[in-house]
Amino acid sequence: MEENVNQHALSEIDDETVEEENLDLKRCLSFVSGDILFFLSTEYVTEIINDHNITSLPGVPPYVRGVLNLRGSILPVVDIGVIMGHEETAYSQKTCIIVLNIDGMPVGIIVDSVRSVLDIDMKEVQALPLKNRHKLANGMLKLANGDIAMSFDCQSLLKE
Amino acid sequence: MDSTMEGMLETYLFETNDLLDKLDEMLMKDEQEGDFSTDDVNEIFRIMHTIKGSSAMMEFTSISVIAHKIEDLFFVIRDKGIDFLKPQDKKDLFDLMFKSEDYLRGEVEKVENGEELLKDTSDFEKTIADFLVRIQKDEEEEEGKVPAASDNAKASASTDNKAASAPSDADHKLPEDPTAVKFIHVDLEEGVGMENLRAFMIVTALRDCDFDFREYPRDLATNAQTAQPIADNGFYLAFDDSDQCNRALAVLKTQAHIRSYEVIDSSKAEEKAAPAPAPEKAAASQKTSANAGPAKAPAPAAKANKPAPQQSHAPIKQSLISVNLQKLDALQNLVGEIVITESMVTSSPVLKMLPQEAFDSFTKSARQLRKLTNDLQDISMSLRMVSVSGVFQKMNRIVRDMTKKLNKDVRLTLVGEDTEVDKSIVDSIQDPIMHIVRNSMDHGIEETKEERIAAGKDPQGEIVLSAEHTSNEVIISCSDDGYGMDPQKMLDKAEEKGLLTKPRSEYTDSEALHLILLPGFSTNKEVTEYSGRGVGMDVVKRNVESVGGTVKIHSEKGKGTTITLKIPLTMAIVDGMKITVGDSIFTIPIADIQQSFKVTKDEIILDENGNEMIERMGEFYPVIRLDRFYGIPSLYGDNIEDGIMVWVENGDRSCVLYVDDLIGEQQVVVKPLPVYFNSFRLKEKGISGCSILGDGNICIILDIANIYAASIENA
Repeated sequence: MEENVNQHALSEIDDETVEEENLDLKRCLSFVSGDILFFLSTEYVTEIINDHNITSLPGVPPYVRGVLNLRGSILPVVDIGVIMGHEETAYSQKTCIIVLNIDGMPVGIIVDSVRSVLDIDMKEVQALPLKNRHKLANGMLKLANGDIAMSFDCQSLLKE
Repeated sequence: MDSTMEGMLETYLFETNDLLDKLDEMLMKDEQEGDFSTDDVNEIFRIMHTIKGSSAMMEFTSISVIAHKIEDLFFVIRDKGIDFLKPQDKKDLFDLMFKSEDYLRGEVEKVENGEELLKDTSDFEKTIADFLVRIQKDEEEEEGKVPAASDNAKASASTDNKAASAPSDADHKLPEDPTAVKFIHVDLEEGVGMENLRAFMIVTALRDCDFDFREYPRDLATNAQTAQPIADNGFYLAFDDSDQCNRALAVLKTQAHIRSYEVIDSSKAEEKAAPAPAPEKAAASQKTSANAGPAKAPAPAAKANKPAPQQSHAPIKQSLISVNLQKLDALQNLVGEIVITESMVTSSPVLKMLPQEAFDSFTKSARQLRKLTNDLQDISMSLRMVSVSGVFQKMNRIVRDMTKKLNKDVRLTLVGEDTEVDKSIVDSIQDPIMHIVRNSMDHGIEETKEERIAAGKDPQGEIVLSAEHTSNEVIISCSDDGYGMDPQKMLDKAEEKGLLTKPRSEYTDSEALHLILLPGFSTNKEVTEYSGRGVGMDVVKRNVESVGGTVKIHSEKGKGTTITLKIPLTMAIVDGMKITVGDSIFTIPIADIQQSFKVTKDEIILDENGNEMIERMGEFYPVIRLDRFYGIPSLYGDNIEDGIMVWVENGDRSCVLYVDDLIGEQQVVVKPLPVYFNSFRLKEKGISGCSILGDGNICIILDIANIYAASIENA
C-alpha cells in the first residue's frame, strides 16, 4: 500500500517538474504605472508599503523622489512614472511603493497601483518589437484575460 | 566546523598573530642592536613553544612542526647562552628568524583564508636543522673554553638537604644554601590566598623551562603552614648559576600574582652581613657562604642593601581584553539609538502640557540623563580606537627587507605612531601605507649612494611616516627624500597609456602628479618583486576612498615626494544644527559652525562676476546660497535679509552659507546614503549622509568641505 502511495506521489512530482520544464512558470507581481500594466518576478519583491513620507534629496535626477525611513533603514525611492516621461506620480489612495531588492541593493519604486500576484510562463514572454527604445520594459505578454502586460526590467533601475 | 571549533580558531588566529607581531617587533629591535638579549631568546623560545602547542592542538601540522624546530634551535641557544654564537651566525640567525616568521605568517594566513596548508615542510625544517648543526659544530671547536657548569649543579644538589629545612620563623632571612650564587626573592601580591600553592605554581613554571634551582621554603608544595610566611615575607629561589638566574627572571615576569621580585647576590649579601649577628651560624658551617642570608633581612631591608643595578621589578599587569568587533559595533549602534531616543523624549511636545513646576524638575533630570548619555557615548566611541603603531611597525620590516634586497640604505622614521584611530580605519590603511612605503623604497629613493651624494643629500635615504589628528580627520603622510616625481614624465606616461582626459597643456603640475592614482599607471619600466605592476597606487586610492578619505600627492623634482592620506574620523554621532531651505531639512555639524547672523543688503559685497561676499572679523568670505546651490526654492525668494547666514569653517576652507531658518540643535546618528546613490556622486555635492530624526523623518547631513569645493573651487 505504502509503496503505491509513494509511487503515486513520485509520479505526481514528475508530472509537475515536466510541466515546469515545459512552462517555466514564475510567480510575478503585476502593477500599474502610467496606464501600463507591468509585471516582475516576486523574487525581487521584499514588501509593498503605502504609508510613506518621502524626504527629497537635492542633487539627484528628477526620477529619484528621495529617501524614506523604512523601519530605521534608509530606502531610496524612484518614481518610474517620471522615468517614462510622465508627471510625478500623484499621491492617491492606491499609490504605493514596491520595495525591491535588486542584487542585494534595496530600492523602492512608486507605482499607481498594485494589481495581483500571478504565475506567468516566461516562455510566453515575447521580445518587444521596438528595440532599444525602452528604459524599463524588456518583454511583453498577453495575459489570459486579454490584457497586455510588460515585463519590468529591474536591472534597468541600476543602469539609470 | 561547529561553533566551538570556530571560536577556538578565532582565538587561535588572534593569539598566533599577536605572538608573531611580538616576535617581529623583537627581531627588529634586536637586529638594530645587532644582538639578541637573553630575555628575548627566552621570549622567542616561549612564543615558539606556544605556537607549537596551539597549532598542534588545532592540527595545523606544518605550523607546529616548524615552530617546534625553531623551539629546538632556541632551546640550544638558550642553553648555551646567546654569546656563544659568532657574529656571522647571529646575522644568519636573524635572517633565518625573519624567514621563519614569514613562513609561519604565510601558513597562518592560509588558515585564515581556509586554504590548504603546506604538506611538505621538510625543506624548511632542513634549513633550520642545518643551522643548528652548524652552530653546534662551531661550538664544539670552542668547547674547551666553556667551563662545565653542570657538574657544579649536581654537586650542590646533595648538599641541599641540610639547607632545606629552613625553619619557618627564619623565613624572612635568606635561606641557607651553600652553593647558591644568586637568590631571587619573590613577593606575592597581597591577599591572593593560598600563597604556598601560588608559589608552587611559579616554581613549577620555572621547572618546566628547565631551570636548575631550589625553592625555599622547601616544603611549600605540601605544607599548608608555609602559606602565611610566604604571604608575609615572600619566598626564595636559589640558583647555582647566575646566568640561569637571569634567564629565570624573564620567565618570572610572565607569571601571575607576583608583586615584586629581586635578585640577591649571595656573596655580596654576605659581605654586608658579616658584621651583623648571624644566628644560624651553627646550623650550617661547611661553607662561609652558608651565612649568606642573615642580613638584617626582611624584604625591605634586603632591598636597601642590594647593589644598585639590581632593581626590583613590578611586573606590568595585563589589563587588556580582546572583544569581538561585532559586539563593539552593536554597542555603538545601541548607544547611538539611546542618544537619539533621549533627545526624542526630552524634546517631546507632550512635555509642554506639564505644569511649570513639574516641567522644571523634569528638565533637571533630563539634563542629568543627557550628561550620562554623553559620557556613555564618549566611552563607547573610544573603545574602538586603536593606535596606528601596529601598522607603522610593520613598515619597519618592509623597509628592512627592501634595503637588503634592493641594496639601498634607507632609514624609516616614524612620527606620531601612538595616534589613535578607529579600528576599521587602521584595517583599511594598512595596505595603502604598505604600497606607498614600497613605492618610495623602490622608485622614490635613489638607486645608489653616489647618486645621492652627487645630489647633495645624506647618503642614507630617509622615509618619514607620520600620523596626526586634526579636529575631524586623521592625516597620515609618507615622505621620502628621493628623486621626486616629474610632472612631465607623468604626462608622457599617461599619454602613452591613453589615460589623459583633456589636452595635455591643460594639466596643472598637481593634476599631472595625481595621474599616478589612475588604474593602469606605472612609471617603472621593470616590474620588481615589490612594486611596479601599476596596481599599487590605484588600490591605495580605492582603499582610502572606501573609508571616505582622500589621497594627495606633493612632489618636488630632486627633493622627494610626500603622499598624504586624509581620512575622516568615524563620527557615528554628530552634534548638528538643523537648518531649513524651502521644505528640506539639513544638518550642519556644529563643529563646523563659527557663527550665525542676519545681514542687511548693504553688507553684501559683489565682485565683477556678481559673486556675493561678506566681511566677518576683518576678512572676506564667499556667500553660498544653499537654495541656489541645491536648486530648492527658498521660502523667502531672493531677499537675503529674511534668511539667515551661517558662517562655517572646515579645515582651511571658510565660507558663509545662506539658509532659510535655523531650527535647532540636535544630535544625530550618521547613516551612510543607500548604495543606490553611489553613481550620483552626492558626496561631491556636499551630502555626506543622512539621519533619522526622532519623529521618523529623514534629514540630510551636509559636508562643508565638499560644498565649498563644489561651489567655489570647481565653479
